[in-house]
Amino acid sequence: MDPPLILPPNIDDVPPPGLALVLELDKPLLVQLRDGRKLLGTLRSFDQYANLVLEGTKERIVVGSQYAEVDMGLHIVRGENVVLLGDIDPSLDPPPGLSLVPEAEIRRIQKADKEAERMKGTFRTRFDFLMED
Amino acid sequence: MAEEADATVKEPLDLIKLSLDERVYVKLKGDRELRGKLHAYDQHLNMILGDVEEVVTSVDIDEETFEEIVRTNKRMLPYLFLRGDGVILVSPPLRS
Amino acid sequence: MLFYSYFKTLVGKEITVDLKNDLSITGTLHSVDQYLNIKLNNIKLANPAKYPHMLSVRNCFIRGSVVRYVQLPPGSVDVELLHDATRREARGG
Repeated sequence: MDPPLILPPNIDDVPPPGLALVLELDKPLLVQLRDGRKLLGTLRSFDQYANLVLEGTKERIVVGSQYAEVDMGLHIVRGENVVLLGDIDPSLDPPPGLSLVPEAEIRRIQKADKEAERMKGTFRTRFDFLMED
Repeated sequence: MAEEADATVKEPLDLIKLSLDERVYVKLKGDRELRGKLHAYDQHLNMILGDVEEVVTSVDIDEETFEEIVRTNKRMLPYLFLRGDGVILVSPPLRS
Repeated sequence: MLFYSYFKTLVGKEITVDLKNDLSITGTLHSVDQYLNIKLNNIKLANPAKYPHMLSVRNCFIRGSVVRYVQLPPGSVDVELLHDATRREARGG
């Protein structure tokens, strides 16, 4: 008879909590936050909640096919706001199809885009995610 | 004796234990509903369901008339792990 | 620990993770931890045009708390084993 595959794990086989990001230390990462913002930076520290210390942080603001980057310096991100961390592949960054514009320009596009969204009345469903918990 | 203990309902999760391998209805946050066969669960109400039908209800506003349009989107999934923190209620199969 | 143990049996398989922000990411399961944080390799998005910033990411870490569903590969679900493991877990095993 085959042994069952789904046994409670042996305590020695369970890694100590919060080591999941060791391999990401000192690498350039993209951090997606719950409010939709995207931060780029180098991971310098983390804990079991996925609280993060990012160095050389830039916020990447993407609207349609245009984007801008805003320098933010050193950041501590509270873990509960983290959706995902992506290893940035330098050969694919910036992502193909996106063009860089100055910050003032992206803010203007962002404002116009938000206004158009609001007019369509789809705002509520888009942001339900933030209201959870 | 173990079998007898298995079949008594002392706490809410015991009712879910009796629904193992039965079709259940799960209502989730964000106007989502699932119907599927319950294959596994834990104390957080994380679950694995099989032969799942997901129904998502959304309300759109017509751009010209500003009328609310209720849409339901359905999809079928063979096996689904579902995280317990989104669960509003679990309804066991009806027994007649 | 039932689902942690179960997801460990899926390492190396392709899964689709649906997030609470409606992102849907398919990739090869690299690892999982006891919080059900998930690492995926060689990711593909269901709707890449809507999330162009994700095109520069190949491998990612997803915080367990933002997961809504994981779509499981049908061949990897043994319902009898799951039932046994669930009953064991329910008894406090």
